[in-house]
Amino acid sequence: MNQDKENLYEGMYIISATLSDDARNKALDKIQNGITSHGGEILKIHEQGRRRLAYSIDGHREGYYYVLYFKVKPSAISELWHDYHLNEDLVRFITLTAEKVIDKIEFKALEQTE
Amino acid sequence: MNPRRSRSSDNGDFRNKKRKRCPFTQAGIRDIDYKDTNTLTKFITERGKILPRRITGVSAYHQKLLAAAIKRARHMALLPFVAEM
Repeated sequence: MNQDKENLYEGMYIISATLSDDARNKALDKIQNGITSHGGEILKIHEQGRRRLAYSIDGHREGYYYVLYFKVKPSAISELWHDYHLNEDLVRFITLTAEKVIDKIEFKALEQTE
Repeated sequence: MNPRRSRSSDNGDFRNKKRKRCPFTQAGIRDIDYKDTNTLTKFITERGKILPRRITGVSAYHQKLLAAAIKRARHMALLPFVAEM
C-alpha cells in the first residue's frame, strides 16, 4: 500500500449536545486542526444539527452531527483516531474512505412498487 | 425447495404469483449510504433487526451493502441496535 498518497475520507462526528455553541465550535475546530496538522485538507463540512441518538452513549441522549470530507495520508488516520478517543467532547466518530465529495446530503427515495 | 404442492391445481397460482424484485436494482442504486436512514429503516424490523432478503426481495449484492450500511448507522446512533417496543 502506498502510504504517501492522499486519500479522500468522509468522517462523521457526534459532538456532545451539552456544550455551548462556543464550546461546540471550538471542538469542531479541534477536529479540523487535527486533520490539517497531519498535512490534510478539509474539503467540505456539513452541519447536520442536533439529533436524538437512537440509544444513549455515555449518558448522552442527543448529539450534534457533523459530516466532514477531507484529504489526508492514510498513515495519519490511526493517529487521528488516537486523538479522537482522547477527546471527551466527541461522543462518537466514524471515518470512511469516500469516492467523491457530496455537495448536499440527500437521497433518492426508493420507488414504490405495486 | 418448498414442499411440493399438487402440481395440476396449484401450478397456475405459483406461476402467476408476482416475483419480488430487488428495490435497489430497480431504482438503479449502486451503493447504499449509511446516512440514508429513511431508506434503511424500511429494511429493519420494529425491533431493529435486519430483515432477511427472502422477505424484502433484495438481491444478494445489495443485501451485503445494506447490512454494512445498517451496521454503520447503528454505530453512529442513527439506528438502534435494539428498539424497545
